[in-house]
Amino acid sequence: MQGNGFKIGSIVAFLALTIYYLYPTIQWSLEQNYMDELSPSETAQYREENREKLQSLRENTLSLGLDLQGGMHVTLEVGVPQLVRELAGDNADELLNDVISVASTRAFENDTDFIDEMVAEFESRDPNARLSRYYRNDAMDITRRSTNEEIATFLKTQRQSALDRAVEIIRTRVDRYGVTEPSILKQGNNRIVVELPGVEDKERVRNLLKGTARLEFRLAADADAFRSFVDQVYQYYDNTQQATDTTGQAQFNPLTEVLIPAQNPYLVGYATADDTARVMELLNTEDIQRMVPRNTTMMWSANPLPGQGGQDLYQLIGVRTQVELTGDVIEAASVQFDPATNIPEVSMTMNSDGARTWGRITGANIGKPVAIVLDGYVFSYPNVQTKISNGRSSITGLDGVEEAEDLVNILLSGALPAPLDILEERTVGATLGAESIQAGLNSILVGLGIVTIFMIVYYRTGGGIADLALILNIIFILGILAAFKATLTLPGIAGIVLTIGMAVDANVLIFDRIREEQRTGKTIKAAIEAGYANAMSAIIDANVTTFFVGIILFSFGVGPIKGFAVTLMAGIAASLFSAIVITRVVVDYLIQAKHKAVSFG
Amino acid sequence: MRWFETPNFDFNGSRKIAYAISGILFVASLVAIFVQGLQYGIDFKGGKEIVLDFEQPVSVVDLRSELAEPLGNAPEIKLFGSESEVLIRTDNESPISEVQDIITSNIQSLYPDNPFSVEKTDVISARFAEDLKWGALQAVIYAIVIIFIYILIRFRNWTFSAGAVAALVHDVVIVLGLFTILSNHVPFSLQIDQAIIAAFLTIVGYSLNDTVVVFDRIRENSNVHKGMDFMPMVNKSLNDTLSRTVITSLTTLFVVAVLFIFGGEVLKGFSFALLIGIVLGTYSSLFVASALVVELEKRTTKSK
Repeated sequence: MQGNGFKIGSIVAFLALTIYYLYPTIQWSLEQNYMDELSPSETAQYREENREKLQSLRENTLSLGLDLQGGMHVTLEVGVPQLVRELAGDNADELLNDVISVASTRAFENDTDFIDEMVAEFESRDPNARLSRYYRNDAMDITRRSTNEEIATFLKTQRQSALDRAVEIIRTRVDRYGVTEPSILKQGNNRIVVELPGVEDKERVRNLLKGTARLEFRLAADADAFRSFVDQVYQYYDNTQQATDTTGQAQFNPLTEVLIPAQNPYLVGYATADDTARVMELLNTEDIQRMVPRNTTMMWSANPLPGQGGQDLYQLIGVRTQVELTGDVIEAASVQFDPATNIPEVSMTMNSDGARTWGRITGANIGKPVAIVLDGYVFSYPNVQTKISNGRSSITGLDGVEEAEDLVNILLSGALPAPLDILEERTVGATLGAESIQAGLNSILVGLGIVTIFMIVYYRTGGGIADLALILNIIFILGILAAFKATLTLPGIAGIVLTIGMAVDANVLIFDRIREEQRTGKTIKAAIEAGYANAMSAIIDANVTTFFVGIILFSFGVGPIKGFAVTLMAGIAASLFSAIVITRVVVDYLIQAKHKAVSFG
Repeated sequence: MRWFETPNFDFNGSRKIAYAISGILFVASLVAIFVQGLQYGIDFKGGKEIVLDFEQPVSVVDLRSELAEPLGNAPEIKLFGSESEVLIRTDNESPISEVQDIITSNIQSLYPDNPFSVEKTDVISARFAEDLKWGALQAVIYAIVIIFIYILIRFRNWTFSAGAVAALVHDVVIVLGLFTILSNHVPFSLQIDQAIIAAFLTIVGYSLNDTVVVFDRIRENSNVHKGMDFMPMVNKSLNDTLSRTVITSLTTLFVVAVLFIFGGEVLKGFSFALLIGIVLGTYSSLFVASALVVELEKRTTKSK
């Protein structure tokens, strides 16, 4: 047994470490079983009393991936092109817009950095031009003389801070929404990966994550000018119809087919949700755009009015292009209920600057409507009754309490620095997750059963020893996963199952070698010695190459694939240790201390 | 129990047959891939996928005709594991909530008495799909390059690297080919997605494992039996390691078969890829990798 002291020591050390790391997981599942038996009120009380203990257990337990416990996985991308355009503010011109759009296509096609592409594209148009003309910023030390390189650095810092802020804002929103154990991580220089276990209402979460909540207060269009514009539009389509329709058939106006004219001077008309796209198509023609009064634009109402025949109709409203006030001035917001109708609304208080401007606007426009616009849709356009000097305003016309609550959440967590796009969204229901866990467990058990029996039949005592190593191996893998705070996913479980088959490989190599050595006439002791020694180089080479594959998978894979790579690598490390060290110690012990004849079949 | 105790198969003699088999499979796979195109899954193609779990069995044909018009672009609809679970894939570009509403309302009118729940939804934008595809391609290329270099360093002979890598390419191309050919003839999804790429790389690692063990024995034998010709020595090494190759392949095949049967619908394509990959990997390390090393060695010694 001499010489095995170190090996035995390391086995004990590894086992102790594994138990240390797996202890919280075991404890946690015991606690959960205990809580399952309690009544709901008792559970709540128990949770309250043991909050800290449960919290720390939970943090250290081997966590399950969303594919196993159910939930929502979302990859968001910060709209860097939009951010860059907005940073230029009023300085932006057609050239910049064009450069940005060319650069964003190219960055996507070539998988390169957008900002680098943008600078390159800008310089290719005029090598002497300076981007600094768009981005002068005294606070950031950007002057007219700043080089394009300095601007690129400036834009990259801005991108980084936009990403950081977006992450913060999303964290606030998710926390307020109340998700247990959310994970919000940055990925690359413009992406955010959000994992939300156990989320039920996907649509609400989607809006919460993306919600820019760009709140704007705008004045309504000038009533007379807008009215005559609307009349012109209807007439225009009447005329084009007559011009093209020479067959004398019944009159038919393509616009009135989809848009119902309105009496209200601020409205173009009413349309159903399905028809809104067609209406915009008809209104966005060059001829019509030329007729639109100066400083005027048209926006749809956010919520429909109940129309005839049960059809919900949306209003197309004329508003000014100029934005009088934005959501930045909102200091406090809360959900209130209209005392008369009990319909929820969001009531807002502005800061002193905002309140002053609001007072001025309302004072100057008594009797006219002010549109409250959120993310490009008009939520309401009440007529101003009196001058409002206390900075109060409210958003009405909401869908329900939940929408009101989420809106308050978004308004208070701050506006996102740039729009976020959902690039990827995966949700798994809790039932499918539970089925997957069951399927994974079954596979592990059946696989383990078949392999252990086969090994004993084929290699006798040696096989039994390998089986012991195999079972320890699985425990080690779980310990390694827990220690690295890795997440167990379904592909991860598949990795464990695969490891069961491949982990015995090292022992197969060793045992076959021992048999070979025995055939050359060596004693069992010498054969074992030679078997382990000669099999080693093959074992190392074979495992190192597979380990490389694991590293590559880990670096390039996303989500669940990373989980597979982690278990694959953990499996290789653990199986090398258990197949070489543990089996050797057991074999030596049986032969030397017990003087048993170890059979390798 | 002992199998292949002292086998003495003539692997080199059967080389020509192996070339024919591999050649046919390889070319057939390439043809299938070029003619039919790779059947990309949602990860690499983008789109929306929804899995519904009904209380009672449903008819895919009815669902298809019900949803074809409202969703547009002929949605892909197939069973997902059982008669009452279906997967619907669509390229409809509306936001997922609208697509889900369309699906829900149309199915409710088709099956008013068969309630269902949404098990799983996946939405991948075309841009993200491009990124995933590029990542997967990079992973495969890097894996092959690193393996080539590692074997070159360990065995100090480029013919070994070339033989190993050729065997890997052989394995992956044939598995891809089989996936393409079989995709419309098996009752489960064989679309190429991220999990399949992981399976490919595992096959690569596994097949390599086998190959490296044989190479290791060739290296050892060439030190022990210095006077032996290269070809018989390769043959001897293959025979020496045959028992181990077969046993390891068997144990791995057992667990992968278990995974295929018990692992659930989500892992079907993944474990199917592993299943054929392991058989191919074992075959290629016995008949392709070493045979190529022999060919290459013959050429290089002749030219010297």
